[in-house]
Order: sequence, then C-alpha cells, then structure tokens
Amino acid sequence: MTTALSDSEALRRASLRYLWMHNRDWTQMAEEGEPQIIETGQGVRVTDSEGRSWIDVNGGYNSVNVGYGRTEIGDAAYEQMANLHYFPQGTTTAPMAKLAAKLAEITPGSLSRVFPVSGGSEANETALKIARAYHKRTGEPGRYKVISRIGSYHGMTAGVLWLGGSPYQPRHDYEPIYPGMVHAPQPNPYRAISGGETPAESAVRSAEAVEQLIEFHGPQTVAAVIAEPVAIPQGAVVPGDEYWPMLREICDRYGVLLIADEVICGFGRTGKMFALEHWGVVPDIMTVAKGIVSSYLPMAATVVKQEVADVFAGERNILRHVFTAAGHPVAAAASLKNIEIIESENLVENSAQVGGYFKEQLEGLAIDHPLVGDVRGIGLLLAVELVSDRNTKAGFPAESQVPERLNEKFKRHGLIFRINSNILNIGPPLCITSEEVDEIVHAIDLSLWELEGEMGISRMT
Amino acid sequence: MVTATDTNATRQAALDHLWMHNADWTTMAEEGGPPIMVSGDGVRVRDAEGNVWIDAHGGYASVNAGYGHTAIADAMRDQMQKLTYFPQGTTTVPLIRLVEKLGELAPDNLERVWPVSGGSEANETAVKIARAYHKRRGDSGRYKVISRRGSYHGATGGVMWMGASSGLSDFEPAMPGMLYAPQPNFYRCEFNSSSPAECAERSARAVEDMILLHSPDTVAAFIGEPIASGLAPPSEEYWQMVRETCDRYGVLLIADEVVTGFGRTGKMFAMEHFGVIPDIMTVAKGITSSYLPLAATIAGTHIADAFAGEDNIFRQALTFGGHPVTAAVALKNIEIIEQNNLVENSECMGAYFIEQLRDLMEKHPSVGDVRGIGLLLGMELVSDRESKTPFDEGLQVGKRLTEKMGNRGIIMRFNGGKVTLGPPLCITADDIDEIVSALDGAISELESELSVG
Repeated sequence: MTTALSDSEALRRASLRYLWMHNRDWTQMAEEGEPQIIETGQGVRVTDSEGRSWIDVNGGYNSVNVGYGRTEIGDAAYEQMANLHYFPQGTTTAPMAKLAAKLAEITPGSLSRVFPVSGGSEANETALKIARAYHKRTGEPGRYKVISRIGSYHGMTAGVLWLGGSPYQPRHDYEPIYPGMVHAPQPNPYRAISGGETPAESAVRSAEAVEQLIEFHGPQTVAAVIAEPVAIPQGAVVPGDEYWPMLREICDRYGVLLIADEVICGFGRTGKMFALEHWGVVPDIMTVAKGIVSSYLPMAATVVKQEVADVFAGERNILRHVFTAAGHPVAAAASLKNIEIIESENLVENSAQVGGYFKEQLEGLAIDHPLVGDVRGIGLLLAVELVSDRNTKAGFPAESQVPERLNEKFKRHGLIFRINSNILNIGPPLCITSEEVDEIVHAIDLSLWELEGEMGISRMT
Repeated sequence: MVTATDTNATRQAALDHLWMHNADWTTMAEEGGPPIMVSGDGVRVRDAEGNVWIDAHGGYASVNAGYGHTAIADAMRDQMQKLTYFPQGTTTVPLIRLVEKLGELAPDNLERVWPVSGGSEANETAVKIARAYHKRRGDSGRYKVISRRGSYHGATGGVMWMGASSGLSDFEPAMPGMLYAPQPNFYRCEFNSSSPAECAERSARAVEDMILLHSPDTVAAFIGEPIASGLAPPSEEYWQMVRETCDRYGVLLIADEVVTGFGRTGKMFAMEHFGVIPDIMTVAKGITSSYLPLAATIAGTHIADAFAGEDNIFRQALTFGGHPVTAAVALKNIEIIEQNNLVENSECMGAYFIEQLRDLMEKHPSVGDVRGIGLLLGMELVSDRESKTPFDEGLQVGKRLTEKMGNRGIIMRFNGGKVTLGPPLCITADDIDEIVSALDGAISELESELSVG
C-alpha cells in the first residue's frame, strides 16, 4: 500500500525541515517537490510513495548485492534480536563468532582475524590504526605515512577522508589535512596521468610511481599503501594486469603493509568473491562493508593476515580500539544470511556473466553514440565515460548541464542512476537478469539520442 | 537450544578469528574465554552455560531501554519487509519520522539532523560541520578544536585525538589543531580548588585563556560531554561560562550527548541540567539502546542555514547514514523510553543508587569518591583517602574487582581507577540492592587481600 498523498506531503515537509540529506540542498529540493520517498523494494526495483516503480541501477551505493526484499534476512535478524539484541565485544555472541569464521574461510590466503565495525569508513580507519600500531610493535615506530591514489575514495571520517581524492569531492571545507598523506597516480588506462599508451604501460608506470614515492619519502617513514582493487570515483577503473602483483612485490620489498579496500568490490561485485582474486594477490589487510550485508543493516569489517594480527597477541600488545556497535550480533546474523544467499544462488557467477553481457551491450552503444568516450569495468561494477570529443577526451562545460539533463531523461525512463560529472556509474544488485540489463541499456540508448539531438551532435557514420 | 559442543565451536571460532575489544586472544584462550552471551531480559543477560548476569554497565552504558524488547524486533521486521535500505538524497518514511521526533525532543532550535551509524561518526560529522561553517561565513582560519583532558569522543582519525587519554601513541601522528583544556573534575581538580564552583570557574576560565592564547580566529569549536563518564556533574557555572565564552569569541559549542542522552542522567539530554543550548549536539547509544547501530549529529538552524543553497551544501555521504531499518528501531526505542517513563526512573533510581554507594563509602576506606547523576555513576578507588593516591597498577585492582563481581553475577566495568556504572534505565531498587551488596562483598574481600582499613 502506498502512503496517502496528504501523508506523503506531510512527510516531505518534515524531511525538508529536519533531515540533512547527502550532498543535497534542502531549499532547492523544496522548489522541485523533492525529496522522493522510497517505500518498498524487490530485486533490482524500488517503489516510491507515489506508487512509481524504478530500477535502481546503482544498487543503493553499489551496496545492495543480493537485491531488495529478501525477507529471510529480516527473519534472521529478527530471530537474533528476539534472543539477544546486543552485547559489547570482549565477550561475544554466536552470530559474530560465526561471521568471523566465515570471513576467514572466504577471504584469500592467511587473512583470518576479523575486527568488526559498522561502516567502510570505520573499517579503513581501523586498518590504518592497525598498520601504524603494527610498525610500532615491530620496532619501526617511524613508519606513519600512508600512500593512496588520486582518484580513489576511502571514507569520510578524518583519518581516511584525506586518502585518495578527486575534484568531484572537494575537501577544502575540512582542512587542515591529516599528516602523512602521500598521493600516487591512479592506474587509469583511459586517462593515464603517468603516461603510457596501453593498460599494461599505465599499470607499470603507476606501480613504479608508488615505489618512487616510497624511495623519496624513505621506506622507514611509510606505514601502508591503501587502494581499491577497482577504483570507483573515476568510474570503475580496472588497472592493467601488471599493477597489483607489482604493488604487492614493492610493498614486500620495502616492508610496507598493503591494504586492499574491498568495500565496494567485495562479495561478488566484480565477478569474484573479492576483486584481488582477479590478480591472485593477497593483501596484508582487507576492508569490507556494503555487500557483506547488502546494506540490510550497518556492518563492515577489517580482515587481517594472521602474521600481522599475531603481533597484537599477548596482554601487553593489544590494540586499544573500541566502537560501541562493533560486532553487533543482529547485524552479524543478517550478514551471515546475506552471504549464504550470495553463495547458494551463485550471485558471484551471475555478476561475472550478466556483467559481461552488460558491458557488451554498453560497448554496442559506443558504436552509435559519439558521446561515449569509454566503456569499462568488470563484473557488475561498470562505467561509461561521456566526452564531447573522442580524440581530446574533453568533458563538458558545467553550463551545458549534461549530468543534470541526462538524469532527467533517465528518470523519465524509470531509472535511478547516479552520474558523477561525466561518468555514468553502474552497480546494480547482483541478481539482475539480462532482460533487466536490456531495459537499462535501451533507456541509456534513447536518453543519449535525445541528448545528442539537443546538442546538435550527429550520430556516428 | 545451545549445546555444549556448539558453544565450544563458537568459542574456538571467536578465539581463532575474532578481534575483540581490548582483549588478548591468547590470554582469553588460557582463561576459557570468551563468554558467549545468548539472551537478555531487562537488566539481565544469560550466557551459553546458563549463567545469568546483571549487566551493571548496560552494554557500553548504551542499553537504555533494557534487554529483550520484542516490540523493537517487531518494528525492525516490519520495516525490513517493506524496504531494507535506500541511500539518503531520496529518503524513507521511518527516517523522516525519526528526524522529526529528534527535532521535537532536542532543545530550542536544534533540529537539523545528519544521521550516521555510531558516536565516532557523529562527532566526526560535528567537527566537519563546525570547520565548514566558519568557511561558509568567510572565517576560514578557524580550524582548531578544544576538548578536555580525560574526555572521550570516539575512535576514528579525527575524534580519537579529542579528549586526551593515554594509549594513543600507537596511532601517531595526531590530527592537527587539537587543544586540550582542563576537565572540571572537582575530585582531582587541576587547580586544587576548594569548592566545586571554584573548580568549575577556573576550568571554564582556562578555556577562555586558551582561545585568547591561540587567537579566536583560529578556533573552530569546543567539544565536551555535559557530564564526563564516571565523573561528577560540573557545577552549573561551568557550562554557562563555556557557553558565554564560545559566544564571545565566535567558537561553536558541540555537546557530545552520546553517553548522556536519552535519559541516562535523569533528563532526556544532560545539558538540560545546566540550561545550556549547544550549537551542535551528537547522540548515539541510547537513541536505539544499542538494538541497532544508529547515531546522529543535530545542528541548530543557525548553523544548518549556512549550508542552504546549492553552492553551500555540506559534502559528506556515508553508505549506511539514515538507514531506514535502524530508524524504525530508534523510533520504537524512544517510544518505550517515553511510555515507560524511563527518564524519570533514571532520576529516581539514580538517586537511590548513589545513596547506597555513599553508604558503602562509609564502610570502605578504599572508596575515595562516589559521584554522578541519574544512572551514570562512578566510584573511585584509592589506597589512601586523604592523599587520594590511586592503587599501584601492579596490584591489578580493576581486574580483581571485576572478577569478584563476576563471581557474584554482576558484569561491571572498571576504567581509570574507577568503577563506572550505567545500567539499563529500567533498573529497580531490588536490582540496585543486589549490585550494591555484591560491591560490598567484593570490596571487603579486596580490602582484606590488600590489607586496607
């Protein structure tokens, strides 16, 4: 049942007065009759308070891996809450212990010690704290710097806010920057800032740049390198195959810990359970969030190699780090059920297969539409980069309002679709079917035609 | 039904794979730990072996409504059957109802709510809002944040450096711009004050001196808990003076009500004791009684208005921020707090509890001080009452007392030389008698072992 219109108006007014929404301006929202109020969800679709159904092309924030409406996750959470809703870590609960064991089982190599938290930012903060404390435990207290890549994103709290960075997410509001932040180039083959004609060249040069930074700063000052296997802010940047094995080798050579941020990539998003499996690389620390619970409840974790965790064993070596909600038994029960669904319904394989089909269809669009500069990604983490000129790869001036206009068109076609500047980001639930992919691609096709028509751009000949 | 084999397997899984809070898994293994908790009701929890415990610390002073409210689980399932999640930007019905409720509950013009998943995120958000606020107003040199020594505001990269405590050296370097003011703790006043009022005044004056020393145009905010955990409420001069000082120098006042909010101190929010309205208030813990992870940063309209208009928006997104299921749970939890008059119960039972603790102080020379308000209480142990000398760390007083309380069926926390108590607000006088009698026995045992008194 949808909310009565009067109710929905009252709700909208209340939200405009009381709610501080993500990256939105409430005065403008009021003028435009927003916000949209979402009421129900099933599979890849959600329904708003006016009864209109939408395909969620972004799957929440690339985070609803099993899809909407899986009532068995609600049942699992309910059962746990009816028994015990919470108890702090130090003692523990059965679902949390089982979830830790499950994560140790499915993560690669000796990754096996799990610090549970409630979100990706907390997971990455925890990873950095472990890395810095690790070097102190092993007699190298001078190692505190953290190397991240320009065009990466690792969270919003003060320790991780300054990692990565992109012009779409300006941070000058929150200065001063955290000490010890070192920024390396992104191995983005389409826009290779370290040069290189091929993905392989870009990968090698970008990895070498990390080594040069370590040398320049002095290895004895560098604690960790943190990176997403496939980076998202510049749109599903898949590095050349050389990149990750080189990064692993460089970190080993200089005694630097390698942290893989699998917050978005994990749990099947890229067609493997974890994205570093594409390159057979095992990081020292892996962070996970989003897909671990398909956003049904807040849950995330920092998963650490046994060799690293072992230096914190013994009463005098413990890591002093606490979050009230960490290891929440209800969120753990929901996560366990979520992972069970991902495994039993082969959603990782579906992500690889349907993702492959999706990418093919998008590449088909590139044949017809001159605006499509690049199609990239892996599994169900895909991106289309739009350009005004394919040769120069130039974007669009702000006043042409390309993202705003495209968003309007996508809305008319029933798509919820986030556009970052000139990049269309795609990360639907992993249960998506090829028919649903066709529906999305058709809507993109029509929208691009309309936009090209308005801009006076002729079709490819 | 949990069987012994299940429990052993669970325990082994935890020892092998779980990184628990401030615990060492090798010692835990030797001691047969960790305890596995399986159910809860009111102030009591039960472990897998069937032992029943009174949780005198209410989780992390966070389980305000008490354990075992199936109505909250029902509210969760109802929402999960409709919509399990959707990101902020659009929104959902339970979140709108929750922010409206918070806007009504919070004093004065505190009504613009940024929802997050925990107290650390809430305080990080508050500090980001404060720094960005000054930039919006053309006062972009303001970035320093004043907190108080001995306070606690979270574990993430920015807020872990606020409220200095030992044990942070592992995580150096510190965040830039951290300034530390004295804690208005009369029992150990940094100014050797002769009265709580004098300690409050001098501590507040020190904030002003610090702002002047650093120059007001470099200071963004002052952050403090209205009543720091395990300490006495400061004399009312303190918060009024800090409020005036902040106003005088254009510094934003952030009240961290993560522990103190939702009835913990016998008022809905603890700043009500002092009649002071902060510019930004953060809440967590009691907002859901830890039934699910949820927290919020609540800004006054005069602060939030600086971010209205397309060019002024506050740039921050958190995947789980404003989660509809946690919002539905928070709403039901607040309803329970209100309908069962738990704020009033916190006030009454807190008064009874502290009276009983003061009686213990008469009997036990090792009890140096008893303090607190509502159901946020502290009892400091000392080896000598006159000199207020703490026990030697090697004696492991905290560990021993916690064990002795455990033997008596009470889960208790000991932190920085003091017992801290923060039970569920539904606690009864009988439950309190049980805790106090256990403390009496445990402290007697400890004193005879240490030959005190």
